[in-house]
Amino acid sequence: MIILKDIKKSFNKSQVLRGINLKINRGEVVTILGPSGSGKTTLLRCLNFLERPEAGIVQIGNIQVNAKNATKKDMLSVRKQSAMVFQHYNLFAHKTVIENVMEGLVVVKKVKKREARIESEKVLEKVGLSDKLHFYPSQLSGGQQQRVGIARALALNPEVILFDEPTSALDPELVGEVLSVIKEIAQDGITMVVVTHEMSFAKEVSDRVLFMDGGVIVEEGTPLEIFHAPKEERTRRFLHRISGESFFTALKEQVN
Amino acid sequence: MTIDLPFIWIAFKEIIKALPITLILTIVPLLVGFLIGIIVALVRIYKTRFVYQAANGYVSFFRGTPIIMHIMVIYYGIPLLVDQVASKFNLNIQSSKIPIILFVLTALSLAAGAYLSEIIRSGIISVSTGQLESAYSVGMTKIQAMFRIVLPQALAQSVPNFTNIFIGFLHTSSIAFLVSEKELTGAANIVASTNLKFLEAFIAAGIIYWGLTIIVEGISFLLEKRVTSYSRGGVS
Repeated sequence: MIILKDIKKSFNKSQVLRGINLKINRGEVVTILGPSGSGKTTLLRCLNFLERPEAGIVQIGNIQVNAKNATKKDMLSVRKQSAMVFQHYNLFAHKTVIENVMEGLVVVKKVKKREARIESEKVLEKVGLSDKLHFYPSQLSGGQQQRVGIARALALNPEVILFDEPTSALDPELVGEVLSVIKEIAQDGITMVVVTHEMSFAKEVSDRVLFMDGGVIVEEGTPLEIFHAPKEERTRRFLHRISGESFFTALKEQVN
Repeated sequence: MTIDLPFIWIAFKEIIKALPITLILTIVPLLVGFLIGIIVALVRIYKTRFVYQAANGYVSFFRGTPIIMHIMVIYYGIPLLVDQVASKFNLNIQSSKIPIILFVLTALSLAAGAYLSEIIRSGIISVSTGQLESAYSVGMTKIQAMFRIVLPQALAQSVPNFTNIFIGFLHTSSIAFLVSEKELTGAANIVASTNLKFLEAFIAAGIIYWGLTIIVEGISFLLEKRVTSYSRGGVS
């Protein structure tokens, strides 16, 4: 379970998060939508203290930390409860695929190398990369690299996996393979928080959708509520703007 | 004056006996300097309290003054210091018993540390911050992330720069002959002045230096290919 209480964060005096309250249940898949600059990535990064909030309480699992007086040790223990998948993959360039996945298990979780290898192979099979174990990241396509990133997060068996726009850096034809892997692990009951611009993916995979704008959560609800009956004007405008294209294709289909 | 070509070979055989000294004067300072360099680079990157200013000053001074001056200051300064301290505390140490090579090694090590710290620092900075963040995101500490993720890549990428410094210091070690250390240049000088064949002796020494440099470049090329194989892309 994840609880955020009154999270505040600003960069150079401009306030990016203006008091975020959020509770995420075990096994829930939550997607965060919103225009750029709305604070959604910052919120995600506050969850594992890659950004340190100025105020507020972060709780993941049974680790609770008050951001104001969080020590290095506190931040480390929160990070050990979570894992993150990055927009730009951020794989360890000097390590092979399997070493990338093993690294956290061996170094952080102190799992024996042999067990870590078995566990990593299992996870890599799940993301469909069994034939690439000894490749370096530079030898893989973007989609394959991102699947390694997902495997690296998954192997740690964390309380929650945080996805920071996992498909935004990918070529359009590679987006599908990554989304289908994420969908698959969502069905395994792993708690996930996903920041994304893929609307149909969000609609399909989430239990709950948050719409953020101007550093606050403007509206939240089930995908059905948010996408088909948004209450807030800001949500409506955003969805309208972003789905302009799909409305257009729908129209075209009608014409044909 | 004519050139005595056969004497070049005779000089070569005589001068190359000093090769071990030159190698010691090159390799030891670089190894010591490497350790100093890593520590200084980390202090400057993390802006560690109290020692940060000292590290800045150290790098600035040793890169900002000629190495020949470091050797001279240490060669003339340390004995003075040692004798002062010894007489003050009634210690039975005589500065004249300290082998000269130690002064030279100290000076060269301090200089190497300053140059290497800048190479290592630029290597560390060149590794993407994204990898550091992903290391933190899996729960690594700052030290784990630095030593397991960042430094290996930083050092691998710095191999061409290390080679540059190695070659530079190989040639810089010739300064040691000024304090009568008998390395390659010192030996060449002795051969030259005893036989009054300066041109031949220094040509022979030059050939040795050049040969060494070619060998070092070859090793570096192979090493570079090996340690940066991860970044080359393509399918192996």
